[in-house]
Amino acid sequence: MPGVILKSLSKRYGDVGAVDGLSLEVKPGELLALLGPSGCGKTTTLRLVAGFLAPEAGEIWVGDRCLSSPASVVPPERRRMAMIFQSYALWPHMTVAQNVAYGLRFKPGLSRGDREARVREMLRVVQLAGYERRYPGELSGGQQQRVAVARALVVEPEILLLDEPLSNLDANLREEMRFEIRRLHETFGNTTLYVTHDQGEAMVISDRIAVLKAGKVAQAGTADDLYHRPRTRFVAEFIGRTNVLDGVAVARDTVAHGHLRLRVATADLEPGARVALSIRPHQLRLGEPGAAAGGANAFRGTVRRAAFLGDSVDYEIAVADSDLVLRAAAAPTPRFEVGAAVGLRIEPAACVPLAESDPR
Amino acid sequence: MSKRSMALAAVVVAALLAGLVVAGDAQTQDARLEAAKKEGKVVWYTSLVLPSAERVAKLFEAAYPGVKVEVHRTGSQRILQRVMQELQANIKNVDVVHTSDAGHFVLLKDKKLLAKYTPAGVDAFPAGFKDRDGYYYGLRATVNAITYNTKAMSAAEAPKTWKDLLDPKWKGKLVTAHPGYSGVIATHVLALVHLHGWDYFKALAENRVMIVQSANDPATVVSSGERIVAVNGGDYSAYQLKKKGNPIEIVYPKEGVPLVVSPTAITSFAPHPNAARLFTDFTFTRECQQVMADSEGLYTGHPEVTYPADKPKLNELKLLTVTPEELEKRNEELKKRFVEFFGA
Amino acid sequence: MDRSVAVWVFAALSLVVLMALPLGWLGWLSVSGEHGATLAHYRDVFTDLALRKALWNTVVLAFWVGLVSVALGAPLAWLTARTDIPGRGLIRGLVLASFVTPPFLGAFAWVMLAGPNAGILNTLWRSVTGSREPLLNIFTMPGLIFIVAIYTFPYVYIMVANTLALIASDLEEAAAILGAGRLTVARTVTLPMVLPALASGFILAVLQALALFGSPAILALPAGFHTVTTQIWSLFQFPPKVEQAAAFSIPLLLATALLLQVQKRVLGRRGYAAVGGKGGQRRTIPLGAWRFPALFACLAVMACAIFLPYGVLAKAAFARAWAQPLSRDNLTLGNFTFTFFEYGATRDAIVNTLELGVMTACVGAVMVAVLSYVTNRRLVVGHQLVAFLALAPVVVPGVVLAVGLFIAYTRPPFVLYGTLWILFLAYLTKEMPVGYAQADATFRAIPADLEDAGRVLGAGRLRILKEVTAPLAKSGIIAAWCFIFIGVIRELSASILLFTPSTKVMSVVIFDLKEEGQFGAISVLGLVMLGLTFATVALVQAALGRDVLGTRK
Repeated sequence: MPGVILKSLSKRYGDVGAVDGLSLEVKPGELLALLGPSGCGKTTTLRLVAGFLAPEAGEIWVGDRCLSSPASVVPPERRRMAMIFQSYALWPHMTVAQNVAYGLRFKPGLSRGDREARVREMLRVVQLAGYERRYPGELSGGQQQRVAVARALVVEPEILLLDEPLSNLDANLREEMRFEIRRLHETFGNTTLYVTHDQGEAMVISDRIAVLKAGKVAQAGTADDLYHRPRTRFVAEFIGRTNVLDGVAVARDTVAHGHLRLRVATADLEPGARVALSIRPHQLRLGEPGAAAGGANAFRGTVRRAAFLGDSVDYEIAVADSDLVLRAAAAPTPRFEVGAAVGLRIEPAACVPLAESDPR
Repeated sequence: MSKRSMALAAVVVAALLAGLVVAGDAQTQDARLEAAKKEGKVVWYTSLVLPSAERVAKLFEAAYPGVKVEVHRTGSQRILQRVMQELQANIKNVDVVHTSDAGHFVLLKDKKLLAKYTPAGVDAFPAGFKDRDGYYYGLRATVNAITYNTKAMSAAEAPKTWKDLLDPKWKGKLVTAHPGYSGVIATHVLALVHLHGWDYFKALAENRVMIVQSANDPATVVSSGERIVAVNGGDYSAYQLKKKGNPIEIVYPKEGVPLVVSPTAITSFAPHPNAARLFTDFTFTRECQQVMADSEGLYTGHPEVTYPADKPKLNELKLLTVTPEELEKRNEELKKRFVEFFGA
Repeated sequence: MDRSVAVWVFAALSLVVLMALPLGWLGWLSVSGEHGATLAHYRDVFTDLALRKALWNTVVLAFWVGLVSVALGAPLAWLTARTDIPGRGLIRGLVLASFVTPPFLGAFAWVMLAGPNAGILNTLWRSVTGSREPLLNIFTMPGLIFIVAIYTFPYVYIMVANTLALIASDLEEAAAILGAGRLTVARTVTLPMVLPALASGFILAVLQALALFGSPAILALPAGFHTVTTQIWSLFQFPPKVEQAAAFSIPLLLATALLLQVQKRVLGRRGYAAVGGKGGQRRTIPLGAWRFPALFACLAVMACAIFLPYGVLAKAAFARAWAQPLSRDNLTLGNFTFTFFEYGATRDAIVNTLELGVMTACVGAVMVAVLSYVTNRRLVVGHQLVAFLALAPVVVPGVVLAVGLFIAYTRPPFVLYGTLWILFLAYLTKEMPVGYAQADATFRAIPADLEDAGRVLGAGRLRILKEVTAPLAKSGIIAAWCFIFIGVIRELSASILLFTPSTKVMSVVIFDLKEEGQFGAISVLGLVMLGLTFATVALVQAALGRDVLGTRK
């Protein structure tokens, strides 16, 4: 099972560079999510990999085959891939069985019986046994989705591509299908590229996530990496909620914001350089004002707003002697009322310097 | 392309055969029939009213099985337009041309588009039916007459003369055919211009005359009652309608009636020259001419033809005639002034 | 890139043969004199009083046809789209029937109905009232406007009904909840939203009226006036003044192009996306006591367009004398025997018409399918231009196209005059936009994903075309075929200048017979034409699974 390597891919639409020097590696058997807001180039990237588009620069390799380069592009039908579309793209004039069996026709050495058996087996896997003779128009959205999955998986593709496959489903079904897709990935182990704009979906489904911005990879890594060790402001803000604080490094491990001094997680800052810090709301510790006195990264503040969310309370804290307003997520007890003075402590490990600037 | 070269070949063959035909004995008659059968059909552009034209065609086909007649019936002026347009595009389609505008034949003769051919038996026809140079001969004749609807008026109330039609009491009740379509009407207009001048038509137009195209149509309009008096039109189509029981009557004005001799001729480029001659000869036989006189109500130049008792003889009428040459020369003027007065 | 070249060579060649050559010659001849370029023909044309009158008549006709079409089409559309008027399906069906009725047949039928003296309606009127004056006189400008409008209002109807069907009632209810009364809602919300459709329907109706030949030829000429189209046609009479006809065609061409541009603007300014209130319901407005009066009014309009004309055609087909009551003596099959067995031109014309119809529809359907596939899937560089070219002939009125084709193809290198090919070219050009629009809608409705899905699984482009695209596009392309076919069999305005006696088509034979007053034979042929048309319409409906007028369900 080969992996996929994208080398400095570029593709422009008119003046707009949809994909702009993008490099990425998908390891064999890995499920990698391409995550980003609309217009970041994730679908273009996927269609480049599928061979529907030809790159203007860069190369796409699968294993030892170079599939796309500006000089030559292997057409989609010879890439040994499969794809699941946002619209499912089920053929309305074919039955479920015909839809699923379609790709098997192009597999040499399969008898008719083999094909039927595989289709039956695959439909069983996606829990659609007995639906062989139905037409797509007679199925619910979720069932259509399963047919699309079955059609893609039955051919045992080297590479599986998914283009926002869950965005047409309603919320409950979407939840359920996330786990279903993950389960199927673990069963079949295809090298998979999964395009989505939903970070929750990406985190549940994927082994690794590549966050795209302006046609480039802003950062790639596991969900944990991206959440706890974002390297750019964009990634920090896109994955989960965060407080971003602009400041200047005053020591290799300290950043100043006005009068405030914050110790940070690393000790490799260039003194005098501008630095942005990401602090996740739930890593702010709140307490009585007195309790915060002394120690690193301890401040006082006032509660500006509080919203009870059930398992937590969402606070907005104005930091004393500063223009800084931080979001904090704290346990429901103890509760602080609006206007109350609070003590605030942030572990240095929670102050993550955003070392890199975002792609533009 | 092969059609055209075949047509060319046919013309050559025809030229050769022409010499034989003039000899005119029974054997060459047979040979000509064979040649005509080989050609298979004759293409006839005719302004003879459609049912009459189809009847002549059927008679011919019955007499000469194996030779079909392709009838293309439209107004005289349209026929000329078609012939000229086709020639411009180098299409040689028509064998026999028959219109009611004798001027056309002057024009076609000048342009060398007619074949010289004297149909059998036309020597006995009156001079008005014969071209001096022998290119075209009058196949039939009609006169323009007034037609009125007998349900709408008594014979006493009906107009008696062309000038009667100028009476304002006919306003909105008259119908005319168009000289830009019909040769019968072009002849009519020219003859009445000679008689009463253009002022006559100017005054006539004041009566808000309905305009139709074919010289056969005024009589049908009067039969239906849509208008009650036709200010012109061939009397033969009116006569036929009358015979069928339509409530119309024909008036031959005392000032004289424009005589329209409708010539026929074979084109110089006829793709079926033998069939064309056979057909032309046939149309001049007493048999065919008598049919035209009997069932169609036409006049002919054939001396032996007898006419229905309920139709005036030609020699009982005062005839207004115009020469083909003048008709040809003034054709454009006739149409233009007519349109000026009547609008379309 | 190689396929781009092939498509472009094909498109360019078609363009040259179908448009550039005819219109180029048209333009050139209109300014060519014996000594090089001249404006003399334009001077001749525009100083001639008769021709200027014809121009003015056309303006009057087109404008009023537009207005009357709006006055008939808009209320009918609203009634059927928004109210609980009974018999909505029936009314829609009748509007469709009026849409596909050849206008010249309608005009001809109305000669029998409302000729001022013999017209059946007028005879009836006189016998009932004892009046000596006719009730209606069809041989007048108002008469002509009326006849053209009753076959043109479906353009307004379609535009308005389809727009109303897209406007969700929410939008109106949103205004109502803010305090607007029923009339205010109609005035401030519904009407403004329908206005672009209304204006564009008006323009389409005007364009129809501008380009029409048959109805003016049947109704205006007997009344002693010309329109531009009949004038162009009469300029072809011997001796032909083709240069003047060319010069006279240019204003018609420009007016059409201009109006279409205006229409595009009108439609483009307010996005239909805003109108497409997805999911919003369309509630019907109860008419209450007005239900049946409204139905009656609709049926009265349809009586003028359908019942009366069809009835009189049927009567005339079986009558010896159409103006007389259909008594036993007056009953005959003679018109049928004459038309089919005695009159030689009929059968040839029917054969020619069918031959041309099938040929044009087949070639046209393949062309529009290929072109719209190429443009929809953006397979070539400059695909927008291909689309533009396929739609371009819409600006060329039939008569003008015919003048151009006549000039272009009566001289070397392509002498096509006198063959069916020149008619074929005329029809193909004329029907291309209609066919293209249908094919385009078809491919638009087939998402590219459906093709991509197959390709990823290993099927090549051609295979996908055969196994996925073709089965899905089939019914849409059949519909395009039918639209082209219907257009061809009723075509008169271009045919009338391009036929020769050996290449007559049905419409031309009908026109010929009209000039001679052969009412019975015309009626027989007219019924045949209507039969063919409705059979084809039935085929479209079966193919599309919806009626021809509407948007997809």
